Amino acid sequence: MTIAMGFGIYLRNIKDALATIADGMAVTASHMIRKPVTLEYPDRLPDGVRVQDTLPFRYRGILEVDLEICTACLACERACPIDCIVIEAEKDKAAGGLVMTRFDIDMGKCMYCGLCSEPCPTGSIHHTPEFEGADYSLESLVRRFVKAPTLAYKPKKSGEDDPVIKPILDRGMRYLAEFADPDAK
Amino acid sequence: MTEYPSMESLVRGLIDSGAAPAGVPAWIHQLLAMLIFGGIVVFGFVLPIAGITTWVERRVMGRIQSRIGPNRVGPLGFLQWLADGVKNMLKEDIVPSAADGPLFRAAPYVVMTGFVGSFAAIPFGGSLIIADVNVGILYVTAVTALVVVGILMAGWASNNKWSLLGGIRSAAQIVSYEIPAGLSIFPIVMLAGTLSMQGIIRAQGAAPWAWYLFDNPFTFVAFFVLFVSALAEGNRTPFDLPEAESELVAGFATEYSGMRNLLFFMAEWGNLYVIGAIATTLFLGGWQIPWALDDHPVLRNALQFGVFFTKSYAFVVLAIWLRWTLPRIRVDQMMEMCWKYLVPIALVNFLGTATWMVLFPDGVAPVRWLLLLVAVVAIAAFVRRVAFHIRYARLERRHLSFNPLATARSPG
Amino acid sequence: MGLTGFEVEVQRETEDGGFVTEDMTLSMGPQHPSTHGVLRFVVRADGEVMKEAIPDIGYLHRSIEKIAEKVGWHGFIPYTDRVDYVAAMFCNHGWTMAAEKLGGIEIPKRAEYCRVIADELCRIHSHLLSVGTMAMDIGAFTPFTHAIREREYLNDLFEELCGARLTFHYMRIGGVGWDLPPGWTDKVIHFLDRFEPIVDEYDRLISFNKIYVERLVNVAVISEEEAIDYNLVGPNLRGSGVSYDVRRDDPYSIYPELEFDVPIGRGEVGTLGDCFDRYIVRMREMRESCRIIRQCLRQLPDGPVIARVPRAFKPPAGDCYVRLESARGDMGWYVVSDGTAFPYRCKIRTGSFAAISMTQHVSRDLMLADLIAVIASFDLVAPEIDR
Repeated sequence: MTIAMGFGIYLRNIKDALATIADGMAVTASHMIRKPVTLEYPDRLPDGVRVQDTLPFRYRGILEVDLEICTACLACERACPIDCIVIEAEKDKAAGGLVMTRFDIDMGKCMYCGLCSEPCPTGSIHHTPEFEGADYSLESLVRRFVKAPTLAYKPKKSGEDDPVIKPILDRGMRYLAEFADPDAK
Repeated sequence: MTEYPSMESLVRGLIDSGAAPAGVPAWIHQLLAMLIFGGIVVFGFVLPIAGITTWVERRVMGRIQSRIGPNRVGPLGFLQWLADGVKNMLKEDIVPSAADGPLFRAAPYVVMTGFVGSFAAIPFGGSLIIADVNVGILYVTAVTALVVVGILMAGWASNNKWSLLGGIRSAAQIVSYEIPAGLSIFPIVMLAGTLSMQGIIRAQGAAPWAWYLFDNPFTFVAFFVLFVSALAEGNRTPFDLPEAESELVAGFATEYSGMRNLLFFMAEWGNLYVIGAIATTLFLGGWQIPWALDDHPVLRNALQFGVFFTKSYAFVVLAIWLRWTLPRIRVDQMMEMCWKYLVPIALVNFLGTATWMVLFPDGVAPVRWLLLLVAVVAIAAFVRRVAFHIRYARLERRHLSFNPLATARSPG
Repeated sequence: MGLTGFEVEVQRETEDGGFVTEDMTLSMGPQHPSTHGVLRFVVRADGEVMKEAIPDIGYLHRSIEKIAEKVGWHGFIPYTDRVDYVAAMFCNHGWTMAAEKLGGIEIPKRAEYCRVIADELCRIHSHLLSVGTMAMDIGAFTPFTHAIREREYLNDLFEELCGARLTFHYMRIGGVGWDLPPGWTDKVIHFLDRFEPIVDEYDRLISFNKIYVERLVNVAVISEEEAIDYNLVGPNLRGSGVSYDVRRDDPYSIYPELEFDVPIGRGEVGTLGDCFDRYIVRMREMRESCRIIRQCLRQLPDGPVIARVPRAFKPPAGDCYVRLESARGDMGWYVVSDGTAFPYRCKIRTGSFAAISMTQHVSRDLMLADLIAVIASFDLVAPEIDR
């Protein structure tokens, strides 16, 4: 650090310091007056809105499987890069198709990438806007969707007319329609 | 002007008039009474002020950073500091096994002594002072320098190279910045003719043009030099290298947890008030109020207390504001600033004030008005700049892209 | 302290008037508030002045390159997010470009535009974090919070676009995963209109603050030749005055059709190639990115956003090297395919790795506080260094 400093530089240093510090203080003073941008989640949101309801439709939160429209094609199990989906399904002539005995997703392993939801033919496995999944044990993070052996869904060529299943299928197809389509215009 | 007694003389008067039981020497009564007064001030004012300043800091810091500060514990988060105090007291007391035990344990208390001891001579009002020592300002400066010893002890005893670096930096900083601080006090002492705190305040008046701040251009500059030096002595940003969070974790206080840590930081925040009190006493006319109010001592003291507190606390808020605006200065730049900038300027102020006093023994009224005008114009320009910033970058919530009310969709 | 290999030298100056001094060996990290990620520096210092700072990396190594060989071409894209999670879009882009080059896939125009918009938004995203943490390391905490506030708005934009706020997984082999949602382009323009004045305000708050400038000028001056010798890239290279940007000099995607300037350090404040130049290059790059995004949004064509790519993607055997201009500079992806559905080898070359190798050379005779400034000005992120 050179000792010999011109008096002009000395005064200019002082002037620069004061000017820039004053401008910085003006910026912070302006922030003191402006309203803060904090949204006080989870208990003091405006109008009691749930954050989950404000998230976009594409939000990749916790996975959910609509077993009513699951065809047991195992595409999601194959697509998952981290092997967190385990499905057990067997052909059962008596029941008339594939019967699922196990559909487990380990949310502790899931990395929320969405690779499972893309190849699903009906949109049965999909991400929900739910993100509050914290719990006290690793065991509870495994989501088991099959409670009793379930017959897999068979998509009807003429369109679904069952009033219970139709809304679920519509929602699933709407979810799939969000993905990029190679034939779009 | 009526003679305003200090607490010390009040006690002596009571003893002389025979209010104390006989058989016990008078000095024991005096000692006990002073201890009681000291205790009232420390537990009723000093420690709460240190705690409340943390609350003020966190709220002001929050607003500067576009967010809310603590707001859940008590109204506006006002009880947050109590909760933090209780939490710190209940924490595990960790003493590193290789640390120097007695020094490690004693260091926070040395720092607190340096901080609390200064309150013996801080004037809160006309007669609200524990002891109007006739070398008041010298006493305050000397006692606040005791924290250097405590910080060095903490840095060394922690057996941690980072703490050692922090302690040494702090010692160098505080000792260096004592010089410009002291040199800036001299002009005021010369003008007032006394070192006593109450004497300096009484030599000023209630109105702004009667303050020493605007007395002559040299004291005007001395005020800024004193404020900057005092910030450096209090380890506040931009001079917070000893506790540079991003470099040294917490500097000299890295190994401290729980109550010991709290004592360090209460000393730091409380020191802000001491800085404010010194600046108010020396430059802003202290507790002077425009009315004499001789017949209403309670009202008079209350008003004086209010005035003094407001002025001192304005400095605390200013220090908080500066902390959250400015980055940190490096060690060698800090030394350069002290010795190459502040000390020469402080010396010039000292000589200039002496010359001014010789040339104009009663001061020059037009100069006072002129300086006051300069200050008012500077503040007005600042306010205009703030308005410009608010207009230029819009930040209201309706400009957010995340607006729950706008993007709420029906579930499903 | 586990210092095998780094002996403490005891220097005994025996000439007259010499001190007997011992160097202090400090270990900065791996847990430290201001090393950007999990890094460790072994610092030999004589009091405050350092003799050298030797980086010790590997604390964040996750074998991502090896994982590529296990999860396949499509499955690896989420992992690329984690290579540099601060600027994840670029890593997605690099991998998908490499796979498309190997597989000979031509992607639609609209997909290229979507990719560039996402890339440039991510560049702003990453630079905001970089300048914010740099200000925080120098001691000013407020600019960091302001930068994070702006990043929150960007996070919301990304959330609408691809569903995630940090690990985007936006791009696919053959294009992108989702088309721009309706109304999103208006939101982006709204954000840019709001953002540009805030960058100016940020400048006024901290960039030219005398204390900040004094901390950064003349610190770790890297000349042009040194920068090229040590293989610095991106804003680190441009801060030393070398005008090289992969987007302009080795263009990919639709960059040839876009008009933008490449800001370089000019040494207007302090010396050319110091920390301040690298910082100011990042601030200016944010403004240039805003310009690029506006152009893209104006020129956006219609069409599909993904080409038809089989789910069992098996590119022919061979290798390729693609480069793109990530936020941290020239990011190189060397991918070898053996004709199967799993890549044979993937090697990622990142800008931070070269920058950290320069730290030892640059840290001689700096002060401890300057080391922090240097690390911050190089914009090191540990995940990129260790992968």
